[in-house]
Amino acid sequence: MPKKLLIVDDSPVSRAIIKKCLPEGHDFELFEAEDGQQGLEKFKEVKPDATLLDLTMPVMDGFEALEEIKKVDSGAQVIVLTADIQPKAYETVMGLGAAMVVPKPPSSESIADGLSKIGLI
Amino acid sequence: MNTSQTDTTFTKEDGAILEEVMNIAFGKASSELATVVDLRILLNAPKVEFLQADDLLRWIKQDTADNDTLNMIEQNFWGKYTGSAFLAFPTSASKGLVSLFEDDDLPPMDEENPLLVKENLLEIGNILIGACVSKVAELLDDEVTFSPPRLIPRMVVDNLANEARLDPDKVAILIKTVFHIQDKDIKGFLFLVAGEESMAWLKTALQNFMAKF
Ligand SMILES: [Mg+2]
Repeated sequence: MPKKLLIVDDSPVSRAIIKKCLPEGHDFELFEAEDGQQGLEKFKEVKPDATLLDLTMPVMDGFEALEEIKKVDSGAQVIVLTADIQPKAYETVMGLGAAMVVPKPPSSESIADGLSKIGLI
Repeated sequence: MNTSQTDTTFTKEDGAILEEVMNIAFGKASSELATVVDLRILLNAPKVEFLQADDLLRWIKQDTADNDTLNMIEQNFWGKYTGSAFLAFPTSASKGLVSLFEDDDLPPMDEENPLLVKENLLEIGNILIGACVSKVAELLDDEVTFSPPRLIPRMVVDNLANEARLDPDKVAILIKTVFHIQDKDIKGFLFLVAGEESMAWLKTALQNFMAKF
């Protein structure tokens, strides 16, 4: 069974970079959303094994999306992938239950680290 | 037509890559400022537009109140990518910016003191512009040197082209990032203006950036 991976990011470039950095030799079924609102809806619909979530997004930002996702499923595995590396942003998302924070731009190593930390690979 | 001309037309995709590069760079810049002032900087997704420097005026007006003047901090930078960075705040926000640097152990600062306002604005400009442009350069494998920051105080928006010494014929890359400083109700924006000579390099550098992944 492929693992379901949901990528939520408003930047098509960032989503492309993330996909390029996914570890090889693993079977993923990918889902994408362009903002937090879409991400939340996709999350409910596909119940992904892991969500890679951006913070700075229009409509609904990643902070709110994370909070809402955790309301839907408190055990949701969410890796925050963000350019917002302020200590207060880190504290906030960890407080909301993110599994970890990966700074942008990601690399094959940092994405693999994140996915292995939550036991997906 | 000059046959040796390189194609410096920026595609939608080039713009999208630059937006993501700026997003990363501005994230870095706000984190440096947030550490100094111990406040959270709320970021908006950056918008990139390629315009004549002339159009900058119309573009900035979208984000400023009608009668407000701007305090602008300008810093020039040189590398393979050479240009000027501007950080602009409504003049009415200057008091709030001075209080950002207040130290609980010291007597309150005189927010009306023009010298103090100037020093503080230059410092904020230096941190945000320096960190942002350096990060863009790092991501695109460039190295830049900076001029000291210069304050253009109480600028009437209509005088922008003169005050910022913009060449109206230049093609400029305008990268606008609007940000808010939490609890202070301060909104500012940052933009970069670069000449045509940097465009060919930038276009290639953006493609190289994507190829790294
Ligand atoms: Mg984003």
